[in-house]
Amino acid sequence: MFELLGHGLLTLLQWNYLVPLFAGTLIGVIGGALPGVTITMTIIVILPFTYGLDPLQGLAAMTGVYVGGSAGGLVTACLLGIPGTPSAIAATFDGFPMARGGAPGRAIWLGAWSSFFGGMLGGLFLILVTGPLAAIALQFGPWEYFSLFVLAMAMVAGLAESSFIKGLLSTAIGLLITVIGTDPIGSVPRFTFGSEFISGGFPFLPVLIGIFAFAQIMSDIEKAGVPKTPEAVLAAQPSLRVSHLKVIGEILGRPFLLLWSTVVGILIGVLPAIGGSAANMLAYDQAKKFSRHPERFGTGIPEGIIASESSNNANVGGSLVTIMAFGIPGDAVTAVMLGAMTIHGIQSGPLFVSQQPALAYGIYAAYILAHLLMVLILAAGAPFMLQITRVRLAVLAPVVLVLCVIGAYALNNTMQSVYVLLIFGVFGYALVRCGFPLAPLILGLILGDQIEINLIRAIMTDDNPLLFFTRPISGALLLCAALSVALAVWQHMRHQARTPREGAPEF
Amino acid sequence: MRLGRDSVAGLIFLAVSLALLVQSFGLPQLPLVPVGPGFYPRIVLIFMAVTSAALIVQDLLARRAEPADVPAPAQPQRAYGLVALAFVIVALYLVLLPLLGYRIATVLFVAALQATLERPTTWRQWAVLAAIAIGTSAVTYLVFERYLTVLLPRGSWTDW
Repeated sequence: MFELLGHGLLTLLQWNYLVPLFAGTLIGVIGGALPGVTITMTIIVILPFTYGLDPLQGLAAMTGVYVGGSAGGLVTACLLGIPGTPSAIAATFDGFPMARGGAPGRAIWLGAWSSFFGGMLGGLFLILVTGPLAAIALQFGPWEYFSLFVLAMAMVAGLAESSFIKGLLSTAIGLLITVIGTDPIGSVPRFTFGSEFISGGFPFLPVLIGIFAFAQIMSDIEKAGVPKTPEAVLAAQPSLRVSHLKVIGEILGRPFLLLWSTVVGILIGVLPAIGGSAANMLAYDQAKKFSRHPERFGTGIPEGIIASESSNNANVGGSLVTIMAFGIPGDAVTAVMLGAMTIHGIQSGPLFVSQQPALAYGIYAAYILAHLLMVLILAAGAPFMLQITRVRLAVLAPVVLVLCVIGAYALNNTMQSVYVLLIFGVFGYALVRCGFPLAPLILGLILGDQIEINLIRAIMTDDNPLLFFTRPISGALLLCAALSVALAVWQHMRHQARTPREGAPEF
Repeated sequence: MRLGRDSVAGLIFLAVSLALLVQSFGLPQLPLVPVGPGFYPRIVLIFMAVTSAALIVQDLLARRAEPADVPAPAQPQRAYGLVALAFVIVALYLVLLPLLGYRIATVLFVAALQATLERPTTWRQWAVLAAIAIGTSAVTYLVFERYLTVLLPRGSWTDW
């Protein structure tokens, strides 16, 4: 195993892989730092570039974006008090007070090194667990797969912040989109109304790009008239000089905090379709609960920054486990990676690690190296990052939309995919305006075909429907699904007394 | 009583799912396969119909529970007109892409959307806007077509 990893590292250190990885990490850090640009959007922007690269180059660039984005948000969070991405929200709680209190360098580097250590521990988990998990998944029959997908969707719908029913309905919409087109067993056209345009079904990536990128950009444009929060809280060029040894000592001197936040991050990552935005909030909350002085959280103490930043990078490792072992994306970012793999003809799933070891260990190596590059980029670029965040929406929006159009068009060089992009762009924006969570929809969209194929395959193998419940693993997975739905219903009932909160929509 | 946003969304999805559900019974039955191509869509559509109905019920109950004269919480001003305009500009871009070709259409699109979001007032700002529009088009074209060999739309009018 370590031999393969060493080989992967050596491969990635060649120029033709190191350049895309570095570019991806750099763009990830910038995208993460820009408020209003999420990691999902950054990876969507990167996507068309990967069409022309070889699979490992493309995946290395995307892994770089993912790792860099998870860390980049912290610069804006600490210096401006605005989270650059949702996964840096908790970093503002203590990072911004610490920076305002005269220690911006300490705040940023506590975050950066926590990201590094959290990410490395997440990487250890990724490398050690993916193979064995995939081996378990190989034992799965169609019943188990079906039940696993049902569990994934039940959990995601249940975690929808706004409304459980909307989460479920969102899942149903995602599943319905995959039903349109020819059926996967007998190639019978379904719900196409005789239209040539949708006879082949809706291609996954244009739908995903449309829904996420447009919903995000249009929501940004919507707020264009809102007066900005005052920016010049800190000096234009704050000194970020700091003793790195001391900062690392501060982090490693709190091993339990670091480990527990990392575990929280990994677990949230492994769970499908919930991203770093949940991980950093939960880890912060946990750190506060276990702390001996919870009242000091929010005043600029290192614990808050360590918890937030180590968890969101560990989350990346966890997400990569799920996608590589089961072929289920851990969040929207990995959903795009999954789509990119499909374009290159790579089937993600339990056979991935054993059949494509060079690629799998290449991803591990990219993940590890991206963390080192991220630290280097922050060391060299953090002082200039504030300038970058001044890029105006009027410039950003058109450029991002052009790259989205290229991403859709270049899939198969037809305008059809681009029209699909616009249709689902309008649809996705409408859904967000109506308060529907998008994550369940995307999961339904990704898993839809697989659910149907496994369901039909199971019925064709044995027409006893009780097998879904009586086969032990399948039954246990369905039981977990039922429990997670029950838990979600119970939680929503309990919270119903409170006024509904208009939370920031998660992209 | 006026319907809430959730009820309207629920009604639309309920109507769609019921209409497609009716259609799914017209799908042919295949030999050899115990369940036809309509089997799985029906499960999805019934699930969708039930959740849509639940959303409507939930919205109606919530509206009944809350007194009518509670003032709506103050929402920050949203630029919905700007969003609609942005969508129209994107749609126009997609219409022009296959006619004018990627290079020209992209210059026009980037310039138009930029000017819509933030109207330049001085000559200098117009020049910057034009430079960004031309630069975006040129750089993406060179990177994708020349370096990455990713093909971009040609214009049927301009052949460019």
